[in-house]
Amino acid sequence: MEKQKILHPSVERCLDTLASIGTVVSALSLIVLVSTFGWLVYGRYILNDSPTWVEQLALLMMITITFMSSATGIHERTHLAVDIVPMLCGPRVKIVFKLICDLILCGFGVLMALKATELLKFTWSREISLLSIPEGVRYIPVIISGVLVALFSAANILSGAITLFTYPDSVLHKDSSEPKNKAEE
Amino acid sequence: MGLLILLGCFGLLLIIGMPVAYALGIAALSSFIYEGIPLLIGFQRIVSGVSVFSLLAIPFFIFAGELMLHGGIAARLVSLASSAVGWAKGGLGQVNVFSSMLFGGISGSAVADVSALGSLLIPVMKEKGYSADYAVNVTVTSSVAGIMIPPSHNMILFVVAAGGGISVSSLFMAGLIPGIIMCLCLGFVARWVAIRNSYPTEKFPGWSVVLYAAITAFPGLFTAVIIVGGALSGVFTVTESGAIGCLYAIVVCLLVYRSLSWQGFITAVKNAVRTTGMVMILVACASAFGYMLVLYDVPTELTKFLYAISDNPIIILLMMNLMLLLLGMIMDMSALILICTPIFLPVAVGLGMDPIQFGVMLMMNLGLGLCTPPVGSCLFVGCAIGGVPIQNAVRTIWPFYLAILLALMLITFVPWVSMFLPNLING
Repeated sequence: MEKQKILHPSVERCLDTLASIGTVVSALSLIVLVSTFGWLVYGRYILNDSPTWVEQLALLMMITITFMSSATGIHERTHLAVDIVPMLCGPRVKIVFKLICDLILCGFGVLMALKATELLKFTWSREISLLSIPEGVRYIPVIISGVLVALFSAANILSGAITLFTYPDSVLHKDSSEPKNKAEE
Repeated sequence: MGLLILLGCFGLLLIIGMPVAYALGIAALSSFIYEGIPLLIGFQRIVSGVSVFSLLAIPFFIFAGELMLHGGIAARLVSLASSAVGWAKGGLGQVNVFSSMLFGGISGSAVADVSALGSLLIPVMKEKGYSADYAVNVTVTSSVAGIMIPPSHNMILFVVAAGGGISVSSLFMAGLIPGIIMCLCLGFVARWVAIRNSYPTEKFPGWSVVLYAAITAFPGLFTAVIIVGGALSGVFTVTESGAIGCLYAIVVCLLVYRSLSWQGFITAVKNAVRTTGMVMILVACASAFGYMLVLYDVPTELTKFLYAISDNPIIILLMMNLMLLLLGMIMDMSALILICTPIFLPVAVGLGMDPIQFGVMLMMNLGLGLCTPPVGSCLFVGCAIGGVPIQNAVRTIWPFYLAILLALMLITFVPWVSMFLPNLING
């Protein structure tokens, strides 16, 4: 289902761009991941010389894909959730539930960014074996993800609040019945 | 009290609609705070939860499934199934089940199976006079084959959640016979329902057509041979075979089938990273949640609880199945694998069950959960494709549920079904 755009178009565009950058970074990481494993097998069987750095680079790519894509998922609302109770409630209660979730998620994002920054500082002096880059690099995608989660959740809070306080009941009821009508068609 | 905070917080967050992954992470962090454990350790556990080498196979399997979906392999598998079994009683119902066996065996994902085969077969079935409910029911329930027949990324999640020590290759092999038995049961039910409703049967197209379809589908089917065969033979690790499977699928779709467009490739990559992100953040947060479950000794407490009700292994196994089925009805599969494995596995092992057999039992239980309301992603996708309201599909789906339950009982109480192939391979 297409996410409703409620905020100012320039803000929505900015958020969409950030989400797209997150997806592009994840997509490139996946391509690098597949290519390096292809190179690993080629090196082992054709060149008779297995590249040893592949495993550590792959783990770094995995962290990047996980945290960047999951942050984008907040913006696109693609994460798995159990929506039974919110679906049973009225549209206003549903929005309030969403607001509470986004508020908690925003806090989680801020905390994740802060704690990952501490972990980055703590591990910066150590090196990832075979890659010769600081261990702290692992936490960079986590910090960015934390910032994005907080940002996307804050935008969702704003959208939710605007919907809750400015939209009349009739519009909210109409919006909540739309997907059902589409399914019935 | 700490356990109450962990489970209470998790339950409350789920009820208000918090994404499951973040509900797990936030509940775990609340317990960390309550127990006075530094939050830094909590976040370190979350990050280290995905820094596991064996998990790298998951994005590869998901990507391979997406490439097949957008690169024309799925369509060729349906053609093969249609020419091979379309003439049997139950016609396209049988084709649907057989296609799921073939496609699910490659993509390893039930939801990918429903969206790929559903969009190809449901419209054709409706056009040929099958009821939309029947078309959706067969597609949705047979998609569980994607989880059972190797390779399956859910099986890798199970191995990781079980704390290692289980061979992925053995688990892959263990899922094969149960997957085929389940498909046979579903095929039988599809035939029975089709005869009862007098659905049409296709004409046998002739052996030349079957042979042509088989030859055309062979390069696509070979992806499964590379992934499973590569891992079993020891030529590649499971992770490497996943990556080689992706590269092979790209080559086949581009050079052999010539049906993978640039746009199709972009969509496949985007969908793959989106699904990977969803699954892996679950793994990350479940790692912190699992840490607290072990700290509170939940597996031991559950064992005591189950033994307090009955010390009969059959009753305990039935209770475990019932619990897993009920949980599967309200939560998604990946999350439940990560939560339930550390809790239920020690109980099953205590009853003398092999961890591999338990893994297969867990997969089928949770796979059935994907087809049941109120939370069943396969059911939702199938109904959306078929344009059928969920309540209509559920009204006529029960014979298919019974077929899967029959297969489930066989897996639970006849160890041979899942252990024959792993024992054969491991000597």
